[in-house]
Amino acid sequence: MLGKQTVKATLEAINQMQADGVIGKYAIGGAVGATLYLEPAATLDVDIFVMLPAVPSSLLLSLAPLYDYLKARGGTVKDEHIVVGGWPVQFLPPSNALEREAVAESTSATVEGVTTWVMSAEHLVAIALYTGRAKDHIRILQFVEQDAVDRGKLQSILERHQLTAKWKQFEGKYLEGVHE
Amino acid sequence: MSKQEMRKRLAALSFSEKIKILEKLRDRSLALASGGLRKKSEEDASKKADKGSKG
Repeated sequence: MLGKQTVKATLEAINQMQADGVIGKYAIGGAVGATLYLEPAATLDVDIFVMLPAVPSSLLLSLAPLYDYLKARGGTVKDEHIVVGGWPVQFLPPSNALEREAVAESTSATVEGVTTWVMSAEHLVAIALYTGRAKDHIRILQFVEQDAVDRGKLQSILERHQLTAKWKQFEGKYLEGVHE
Repeated sequence: MSKQEMRKRLAALSFSEKIKILEKLRDRSLALASGGLRKKSEEDASKKADKGSKG
């Protein structure tokens, strides 16, 4: 299952995990997710936002069953990643309402016949704004410059998750004169 | 073709095609990180030099 070195093989492994009940709904975020909407940009890993099944009698969600499952099938742990199908994958349980919504409202896509789920362009932008690192700002600019976001949909996400002030700040700093 | 046009063209590719490009970019980054490309170009240069000295 983990022998090939392609994103397709990685996604097949993740879909199998879902079919086996190890993970719930998932969505690709980060640079690989952004690739659905933009030109490809170099990245070394895949960010998978994943809902974990609730464990009876436990209030804490743990990634341990997921890691155990993959290690039993040849996956290797490398820092905060686990290598699946040749690609390091970072499994991220949603840490706030925005990320939970992004997983719930993700869109289906196909990679060489393998169906997968990718966050919407607007959720990717909102999460990048929330995270706020330099590389996130660059990605937001790419989305805006390439007209790859629905401004109305983005606005309602920003309002729902109290990010409007942060967006105004971002606009003032980076987007003055762009697409007015 | 302008840089902007090239980016638009790339963005318009299918997800599968773009993922293939990502894989190539990653292979290249890993090769660069491990010094593989430098070694390869040094090997190529020494092969060329050998050919030159023979010819």
